[in-house]
Amino acid sequence: MIARPRWTVQLRAVVRKEVRQTVRDRRIMFMLIIAPLLQTVVFGFAVDFQFDHVPTLVVGHDASAQSRQHIRRLLADGTLRDAGHTTELSEVQHKLQTGDAAAALILPAGLARDLAAQRPAEVQVILDGGDPNRAVVVAGAASRYFGETAEAMVKARLAARGIAPPPLIRATPRIWFNPSLKTPPFMIPGVMTILLVITTTLVTAMGLSREREMGTLEQVLVTPIRPVLLLIGKMTPFLVIGCFDVLLVLTAGVWIFGVPLHGSLLLVATGTVLYVLSTLGIGLLISTVSRTQQQAFLAGFLFAMPAILLSGVMTPIRAMPLWLQVVTFFNPVRYYIEVLRAVLLKGAGLVDVWWRLLALLGFGLTLLTVASLRFSKRVA
Amino acid sequence: MAQAPAAATSGATLGFEPGAALEAQALVRRFGATQALDGLSFTVGRGQLFGLVGADGAGKTTAIRALAGLISLDSGRALVLGRDPAQGRAAVRESLGLMPQQASLYPDLSVGENLRFFARLYCLPRALFHERSSRLLEITRLGPFLDRRADALSGGMYKKLALACALLHRPEVLLLDEPTNGVDPVSRRELWALLHELVHDGMTVLLSTPYMDEAERCHRVGFIHHGRLLLAGEPRALLAGLDDETYEVEGGEREQVDERLANLAEVHAASPAGSTLRIAVARGSGGTVGAALKPLAASLRPVAPNFEDLFLARVRQEAA
Repeated sequence: MIARPRWTVQLRAVVRKEVRQTVRDRRIMFMLIIAPLLQTVVFGFAVDFQFDHVPTLVVGHDASAQSRQHIRRLLADGTLRDAGHTTELSEVQHKLQTGDAAAALILPAGLARDLAAQRPAEVQVILDGGDPNRAVVVAGAASRYFGETAEAMVKARLAARGIAPPPLIRATPRIWFNPSLKTPPFMIPGVMTILLVITTTLVTAMGLSREREMGTLEQVLVTPIRPVLLLIGKMTPFLVIGCFDVLLVLTAGVWIFGVPLHGSLLLVATGTVLYVLSTLGIGLLISTVSRTQQQAFLAGFLFAMPAILLSGVMTPIRAMPLWLQVVTFFNPVRYYIEVLRAVLLKGAGLVDVWWRLLALLGFGLTLLTVASLRFSKRVA
Repeated sequence: MAQAPAAATSGATLGFEPGAALEAQALVRRFGATQALDGLSFTVGRGQLFGLVGADGAGKTTAIRALAGLISLDSGRALVLGRDPAQGRAAVRESLGLMPQQASLYPDLSVGENLRFFARLYCLPRALFHERSSRLLEITRLGPFLDRRADALSGGMYKKLALACALLHRPEVLLLDEPTNGVDPVSRRELWALLHELVHDGMTVLLSTPYMDEAERCHRVGFIHHGRLLLAGEPRALLAGLDDETYEVEGGEREQVDERLANLAEVHAASPAGSTLRIAVARGSGGTVGAALKPLAASLRPVAPNFEDLFLARVRQEAA
């Protein structure tokens, strides 16, 4: 028999044991395989920052044909949806409160008459600020429409007097990378980022705490295996599962939601491995401060929630106060999501993201070193 | 060799005794408000079966964990075959086997998988593993349960599996933390037989137990109390050295007897054992005590001293 180096025998034993235990634990298997798919679908379909068909109440004090035409045109592009007509302001309040309507359009009495008499007119838009994003979208749609209407009226009047309309500067948006402004291409990388925190950080933290709780850790540590080897063996399967999950979510994202694959997959893979070094390191660190699996689980969430919120996965970092923006520089999650979005959606190359990869590597090595040292020290 | 109390062991004399397999040198360890070890010292010679006897919370487990290198010490030194178990790495670990008191195996792995896993951590070649594991499975009679998950084993079977896992690599030194606790009488007898066999083959065994009656099965015993060694020596010699006379009180009203005994300075210890009452009295005072109990219609019957008498008498001396 060829004698293999001792450490490979030990490492293989730990990996094999870990895989066996993981496969036998249905809850963990669910967390690792089914949950990612569920998350992809749920996030893909449910999290949509586009606002279509916002229910809008029309308060028509002006019964002219012209007013009706404005309303029809405004609703035509689909951003707003007709949620009923009324003449009562009390009903506006009621419907906004119940959520039957999210906006109200008030056309004042004599709107058509005022315009015909060349008097300024005002259309009021009442918005439900409970959802700021939606309110902004509705306000934008309304002002865009009336702006264009006013411009057309100016042109018509000048033409009637035989004057050529003055040149106008028009902003022409052309959207790159995600031209139809769909949410999934933005969200799927986010799902990948969040998933890896769960599969690697939480599972590692809980796995090691379980060994401590069960008393198996000590039994292993009285054997000749070096603690570092035990750690590597325990984390290896989850590194693999994490990468598999990324592939799974990415595939689902491309097929179901049409997420573009502009950049190099190799770069995505590199970023993923570097990112996982950090998330594993954090999981390990958590396990050194937790006595039980429950503590580890709670600590894992305590880390994951702010880390995700401060990463730009959900909301732009630029929208945060400056001091929080500074905090995000110490958040490995931030670098990974930036790499993913840049590479997947914009086709960014190594030259564009190298420093983020370097940051991930730095975080990963630092966290793993500190955590291993703490782990070795705690068991000794 | 009589064990010196911890206080008498000065740091200057600390050095590994040749021929000793295990050495605890003035071990001190505090956990928060609990002084788990308070200068515990003892030596276990090679090939000895040493029993660390003491009540729950006396520091037995902490002592064993210190010898296994699993905890750090506030002061003092633990040595396994002359090496520090916490520093010695592979060399010490290869020669050490540990069976902890609490669960220590993977509950979701089968008997066979647990054995194989630990064998691999010791890098046991496959052939050797098969040979040893089949022998251990035979001795422990776990063979038929090879595929059963560890968490489905009975208490006794679980302990036997834990022992088998600790024996796979044929350690020179075996540490057992309360191996007989929670084990039925038959398994307990089997376990002792196995331990004697191992020691006969040259293994050094240190075990802890809260059961005083198990002390006499060891070559040497050490009584541990509040993290210190009260006394140590050969079981027979220790019993022979007991200054007190021991009696069983027969008859009389228990409450009245207790009250009377409590007022007699000659009575050093009284311990109820089932329906009878056992007492230890100062040498030569049996007659006096017997006379004092006579009016209560109680009498004394001389009995052979046991380790509990010895332990209680020593604890009382310590308190005085």
